[in-house]
Amino acid sequence: MSEVIFGSKIMQLLIAFILVSTFMILGSTRLYSCVRAFGIQSFLLAFVAGIVAYSTGKYDIYIVALLTLIIKSAVIPYIFIYIIREIKVKREVELYVTISPSIIIGGILVVISYYLIRSISIISELSSLALSASVSLVSIGLFIMISRKKALMQMLGILVMENGLFLGAISLTNGMPLLVELGIFFDVLIGVLIMGILIFRINKTFESIDTDMLKTLIG
Amino acid sequence: MIEYLLIAPILTGILCFFTRSKKEVEAVSLTGSIATLVIGLILVENVYRQGVIISWTNALFADAFSAFIVLIVSIVGFVASVYSIGYMGHEFKHGIMDLKKLKIYYVLFHIFMFTMLLVGVTNNLGLWIAIEMTTLVSALLMILYTKKSSIEAAWKYMIICTVGITFALFGTILTYYAAVKILGETGDALNWTSLIAVAGQFDPTIMKLAFIFILIGYGTKAGLAPMHTWLPDAHSEAPTPVSALLSGVLLNCAMYGIIRFYTIATKSTGVDFTSNLLIIFGLLSLGVAVPFIILQEDYKRMLAYSSVEHMGIIALGIGFGGVFGIFGAILHMFNHAMTKSLMFFGAGNVLLKYETKEISKVSGIVKSMPATGGMLLIGGLAITGSPPFSIFLSEFTILSAGFLQGHIISSVLFLLFMIMIFAGFFNNLVTMTFGTPKPGIMPGEMSRWTLGAMAILVVFVIVLGVYIPPFFYEMIMKVVAVVR
Repeated sequence: MSEVIFGSKIMQLLIAFILVSTFMILGSTRLYSCVRAFGIQSFLLAFVAGIVAYSTGKYDIYIVALLTLIIKSAVIPYIFIYIIREIKVKREVELYVTISPSIIIGGILVVISYYLIRSISIISELSSLALSASVSLVSIGLFIMISRKKALMQMLGILVMENGLFLGAISLTNGMPLLVELGIFFDVLIGVLIMGILIFRINKTFESIDTDMLKTLIG
Repeated sequence: MIEYLLIAPILTGILCFFTRSKKEVEAVSLTGSIATLVIGLILVENVYRQGVIISWTNALFADAFSAFIVLIVSIVGFVASVYSIGYMGHEFKHGIMDLKKLKIYYVLFHIFMFTMLLVGVTNNLGLWIAIEMTTLVSALLMILYTKKSSIEAAWKYMIICTVGITFALFGTILTYYAAVKILGETGDALNWTSLIAVAGQFDPTIMKLAFIFILIGYGTKAGLAPMHTWLPDAHSEAPTPVSALLSGVLLNCAMYGIIRFYTIATKSTGVDFTSNLLIIFGLLSLGVAVPFIILQEDYKRMLAYSSVEHMGIIALGIGFGGVFGIFGAILHMFNHAMTKSLMFFGAGNVLLKYETKEISKVSGIVKSMPATGGMLLIGGLAITGSPPFSIFLSEFTILSAGFLQGHIISSVLFLLFMIMIFAGFFNNLVTMTFGTPKPGIMPGEMSRWTLGAMAILVVFVIVLGVYIPPFFYEMIMKVVAVVR
C-alpha cells in the first residue's frame, strides 16, 4: 500500500524538496535562515503525511499530519526565534567545518545512505527512496550537530534527525501507532522547551552559547 | 492497580508544589514516596501471585520483569527521598537552595520517579517515550545548581542521550515494520504481549538491524562504552540523591529496554548474534572503566565509572546467557542498585562534610564520621565484588555462566578487569576513609536522615550476600523465564 504512494511523482518531488531543505540548513550562515529551512522541511513532511493519510484513508495519519504542521513547522521555529531574540546572540552560525565542505560532505552522506538502503534487499524499491532520504536526514542532522559551534544548532541538528525518523516511519509502515506518535510529539516539544531553558542558562552563566566553552569536564 | 502506582508520584509532585514551608514539603514528599513504595510492593506481590496484570485497555501491563523494575525503582526511590531530607536540608540551611528551589527539587524528584515507573509498566515498545522523558526530567534536576560544571554536564547529558535515544527510536520503527508484516497495521502491533507471541516469524535481517540500533540507542542511556561519555559528568554533577537514582535506577531502566528487545530479537536472529553483541559491549565497558577508576581524582566520578563497569557486567551476564547468566544479570541489577545508591549516599555525606570532590583532599572519614565511614567501607567492599556481600554472589554467578557456556576468553578478561578495578577502587577508598582528617573538619555525622537511608541499604547489601530468600529467588526465576 504505502509503496504505491511512495512511487508516485508528487511524493518523489516532495522527498526531493525535503532533501533540498536539509541542504539549505547546511548551506546558510544565518541562524534565521536555518530555522526557516527547518520550518519548510517540517511543512513538507506534514504534506507527505497528509498525502499518505489521503490515500490510505486512515484518520489517525491526518492527526499526525496536522500535529506536524502545528508543532514542527510553527511552534518549534517560533521557540527558536524567541530564543535567538531573547539572548541577543550574534545571528551567525559559527562553524567548525565551513560551508562548501559541509555541502560536499552532505552530498556524500546522501549517496552513502542511498546505497546502504539499496543493499538491504528486503525493503522494496519504491519505499526505499523515502527511506534513503530518511537515513540521509538522520546522518546530516548528526553532521550538523558536530560541525556547528552554537548550542542552538545542536538542537536544530537533533530536530532534523527526528524529522528523518518521522519520514522513515511513515514510509516504512504508514507511521507508528497513534499513541506512540502522540508520545513522540510530546517528547519532542518538551525536549525543545527544556533545551531552550538550558540554552538560556548556558548563556547566562558563560555569556555565550558556543559549545567550545563546555569542555571542562574530562577524565 | 498499575494506575495507582503511576498516579501516586504525580500527585505527590503536584502537592509538593503547593506547600509553603520546608517542613511541609518534606512531609508531603516522604508520605508520597512511602505511598509509592507500598503500592509498588502490593503490585509486585500481585504479579508474583497472578502472573501478568494488564490494565488501561492494554496500554499498561506488568509481568515478572516489569514488577522487578518497579521493585527496584520504588525501593531506591523511597530511600532517596529519605536521604533527600537530610541532604537537601543541609543545602537549604547553608543557603545553597532557597525554598522555591527546594520545592522544585521535590516536584521534579517525584515526576522523575513517575517516568521511571512508567518505563517499567508500559506494554508498548514505545517505552522509548518514557525513557526520553526520564532524560528530560533528570536534566532539569541537574541544573538546579547554577554552577558552570552542572550546566555543562546537563547540556552534554541532554544532547548525547537524546541523539542516542533517536537511534533507539529508529530501532523501534524497524521492529514495528517487522511486526506489521506479520500482525498487520493494528494499534497494538507494538505491544509486548502481542509481539512476543509472533517474534519467531520476524524477518531476521530487519531484526538484526533493529537490535543494533536499539543497543546503541538504549546503550547510550545505559552508559555502555563507548557511548558512556556523558555519564561521569552527569552523575557527578547532579545533586547526590539524584546521582543515586541516576546510577542505581535509571541505568537499569535503560538496560530493561535493551533486555526486552534482546528477548524479541533473539527469537528471530538466533541467540549468537544478540549475545555476541552484548558480550562485546559489556567487555568494552569493563575495560574502559579500569583506567578511569584507577587514576580517578574525583570520588563521585569514580563511582560513576564504576556504574559503567557494572552495566557492562549486566550486559555480559545477559550475553553469556543460559539460566545462570540471566539469573546473575537480573540479580546484579538489584544488587548494583542497592550498593551504588549506598555509595553515592556515603559520598554525599563526605561532600557535605569536606566540601570537596577530590579524593586526595579527603582523609579520615572513619574518624570524622564513624557510621558513614563504616558503611562506605562495607559498600566499597561490596561494589568491588568481595565476599560475603551481595554483588559477589551475582558476579560469581555471571562468571560461572561464562565458563559454563564456553566463553572462556571473555570470562578470563572479565575476571582480570574485576581484579584491576578492585585494586584501583579500594586503593582510592582507603585513602579517603583512613588516616587523620584535616584540621578544621569537625567530627560528627551529617544527619540522622542520611544515615537512616544508608542503613536500610546496608541491610540489603549484607543480607543478600549470604541468603537469598525463597520468594526472592522464585521472583528472579520468573523474570528469567520472561527474558529467555
